[in-house]
Amino acid sequence: MKKTLIIALSLVLFALPVFASGNKEEVASPALQAEEKVMTHDELVAAAKEEGKVVVYATTSRIANAAEAFEAKYGIKTETSNLKDFELIEKISKEATSGVTGADFVIAQDGGRVQGELLNLGYLYSYVPESLKNIIPARYQDPLVFSIINKLFIFNNEASTQEPFENIWELTTEKWRGKFQFKNPYQESVNANFLTMVTKPEISDQIAKAYKDYFKKDIELTTDNAGYEWIKALYENKLIVTTSDTKTAESIGIKGQNKSENAGLFVFSKLRYISSKNLALQPLLEVQPFSGFYYPLYALMVSNAKHPAAAKLFIEFLLTDEGFKPWSSNMGTYSPNPNVQIQDGDYPVSFWEPILIAEDPVWCFENRAQVEEFLIEYLY
Amino acid sequence: MTYRNRLKMYFKKPHNIILTLLFVILLYLTIVPMITIIIDTFTVHQSELMRIKGSKVGSFTLYHWSKVLFSSLSAKMFYQPLLNTIVVALGTCFVAILIGGTVAWLITRTDMKYKTIISTLFIFPYIMPSWTLAMAWLNFFKNPLVGGAPGLFTVLTNIETPNWFAYGQFPIIMVLGLHYAPFAYILIGGILRNMDANLEEAALLMKASRARIMRKITIPIVLPALLSTFLLVFSSAMSAFAVPAFLGTPVRYQVLTTQMFRTLNGLNPGYGYIMALVMIIIGVLILAMNQKIIGKRKAFTTITGKSSNISLIKLRKGKVFISLFVLISTLLICIVPLISFAVESFIVEPGNYSLSNFSSVFWIGSGSPEIANGEPGILRNPSILLGLINSVKLAVVVSLVAGTVGILAGYAISKSRGTKLSSIVNNLAFFPYLMPSMAFGAIYLSMFAVRRGFIPPMYGTFALLVLVGSVKYLPFASRASIGAMHQLSGEIEEAATIQGIPWIKRMIKIIVPIQKASFISGYLLPFISCMRELSLFILLVTPATRILTTMLFQYNEKGWSQYANAINLLIVFFVVGSNVIVNRVTGASIDKGIGGN
Repeated sequence: MKKTLIIALSLVLFALPVFASGNKEEVASPALQAEEKVMTHDELVAAAKEEGKVVVYATTSRIANAAEAFEAKYGIKTETSNLKDFELIEKISKEATSGVTGADFVIAQDGGRVQGELLNLGYLYSYVPESLKNIIPARYQDPLVFSIINKLFIFNNEASTQEPFENIWELTTEKWRGKFQFKNPYQESVNANFLTMVTKPEISDQIAKAYKDYFKKDIELTTDNAGYEWIKALYENKLIVTTSDTKTAESIGIKGQNKSENAGLFVFSKLRYISSKNLALQPLLEVQPFSGFYYPLYALMVSNAKHPAAAKLFIEFLLTDEGFKPWSSNMGTYSPNPNVQIQDGDYPVSFWEPILIAEDPVWCFENRAQVEEFLIEYLY
Repeated sequence: MTYRNRLKMYFKKPHNIILTLLFVILLYLTIVPMITIIIDTFTVHQSELMRIKGSKVGSFTLYHWSKVLFSSLSAKMFYQPLLNTIVVALGTCFVAILIGGTVAWLITRTDMKYKTIISTLFIFPYIMPSWTLAMAWLNFFKNPLVGGAPGLFTVLTNIETPNWFAYGQFPIIMVLGLHYAPFAYILIGGILRNMDANLEEAALLMKASRARIMRKITIPIVLPALLSTFLLVFSSAMSAFAVPAFLGTPVRYQVLTTQMFRTLNGLNPGYGYIMALVMIIIGVLILAMNQKIIGKRKAFTTITGKSSNISLIKLRKGKVFISLFVLISTLLICIVPLISFAVESFIVEPGNYSLSNFSSVFWIGSGSPEIANGEPGILRNPSILLGLINSVKLAVVVSLVAGTVGILAGYAISKSRGTKLSSIVNNLAFFPYLMPSMAFGAIYLSMFAVRRGFIPPMYGTFALLVLVGSVKYLPFASRASIGAMHQLSGEIEEAATIQGIPWIKRMIKIIVPIQKASFISGYLLPFISCMRELSLFILLVTPATRILTTMLFQYNEKGWSQYANAINLLIVFFVVGSNVIVNRVTGASIDKGIGGN
């Protein structure tokens, strides 16, 4: 009897923690890495080769091509994964809290969450290569920006290359009812961030002014500000919500549709399909008060990285002309390093900054929940 | 006898050991997740930090419940999708029972021609992944209003399909209905086949009209099976994700599963867990109803024996027409989708079906940056190869685990039939069937992402996929095994026991050989289900553990439809192929597992 009891008891004791709420593993403190002494480039290469491997998660699929070039140059093995923005955030958080070592560095988008969840909680930290500190503009250094991507108003120019509208408020008129497309902001956070930015006071003021310019009267508010008002008007005007920018580009750009109003707001880089998929697409560059938006992708170190030196070397490589080749071979993706070549016919970041809306991580983190709840009314 | 001795005696019998072990393990794998999910609806998750101002991860909150049930957003976010879910589930039942029931009746009760080929092909839509028909629907009927490029139907006929026909409620119900029609066909057909035709003949002798016989005899006898089918199809349709995701999104038609995917994957998992909980509660209610009805049905079937001579109704003039109609529609549903995938996977410029636009680049191309970011064609794409290997590996391991545990469960449950523990384990083993796949995946994600006692954190591991798959498909295997074991008389094993033959040997030499066909069905069903499963795994896979179905979903979302179509073809090929091979080699078949004869 006693023996059975002991066995039963020890079984219970053994099994108890299984039912307890999960134990969190210790997270390595980012401060430790930050205080390391500065290595010269050669020292970094030597240390990286010593580690022999680097693992990266990225929201851009072309990281695979860059990794090939990096492997060829330094002989360091690479492992890349292409994830969606929220997947990446989820994965980094899960890895950090469960103590699993995964990525050494990430290329992430969605500034609000990256800042508010990953950087603030110490799962990631920003590292700027010594050699680039004086080249990359300071505003792109904290956290370090890997690339800048722009989404523009783009229309089907098969019938006419004349820009079909000049003011964002035109999209809310009867003429454009059910003719304008935008990817579901729930499926890509940068789109939700853009809509959040639209509600920021200084931008909504511009939108109010554009309203007055277009309708020749002051805007009457039924919501918090002109930004919300524009979002509401846009969705109520039968905005077509798409699931991917590729699909958007295709459905707008297919020839033979004979629609004079046919446009969307999606990534500029899809213009590469003009020839490969025989599409008719052209960006609008003079819309009031903005012609679209741009958002950064960040290159950030993981705090409990197994191969920190190799990761740092890879980040440095990615920010050079050579490392950025997979992206700069098409229009619409820009390095913060002004020395990186851009395509003929494309414009540098300095051209886009004044005509597009930027992403403010702090504003987005604080206000996106409110904008998303506002959107539920129109999206579902 | 002392308590201790009784315990000793009890555990001398292998089936008692199995039963006790299963009880502990299943309790942990089904009840504890339920508790976890309830706790999760009251907890702040990391991604909710931006929503619930000033909160900390893991702290208690009523935010989710109040927002989902009692806020200005509830209607759009929860009640409308709930209503849509119920409408879709009811509609699916109607279509599935109407089509499946009619075909079952035609095959068992009339002199229709081509019965063999129709009954083989008719099961196909159930074997194929559910979204196969959804994708085919889009390939055919998509219209330029939302999709840009027109579908094949519009290209061929120049008729533009209206939105309600191309997207949303109507196609979702049609597609799910066709997918589950075989289910109705198997269950109703089984009853019709075993039904005593003498009852009908007696009525016929008494000059009752055909309609009256149908109303007074056939339908009442089939009714319990009908209700049972209704409830099973209802719960399956309710938890369907891929079909509403493919067909509903373009017109923003939301059901609970699509809302759950968005919230669990996006910014407020708390909302998603509430929806999961609601779906589980509905599932449990359905089980309760189903068991009541099944209980009644058993009383019913004792009256009816198997008839030796079933007289077939003559279709007379309609025979040729009906036979051809059924044959052609079945062929259309089974073969045409596959042709459309093949076509779509070869065209470069969307919507242009001229021959010059065909290219093998999506199959064997090396990938160019101009098309789909330089992704190589699927036959030389390392990541798709990885997905394929993972899918097959996962399906094999899951079917081995679920099948073996299911056999043991069936053995133990039927051996100790009548005991309380036996019926508890029986219900526990069936419970996973009721959990909506996505909710099930979500719970396991939340439960095993962190270390639990001696279980290491399993986030992102292959083991987690195996675990969740094995538990989810255990009901298939255990049902098949219980059914088979109930028919096996206990004396056969007892004879061996008396001779002192050890348990392992009894199993291998006696039980397994007798029940071979049923046991193989118990392995086959989890294998096939696993190969084509999307919603169960979609929240759990990571790049290293990706499987074909989740890749297909991603490609489709990205708009790389050629890759999606090509992968779909690959999955169908594997699933149908393995079913045919197993069927030919062993004689086991999928309908045995579902409950037919």
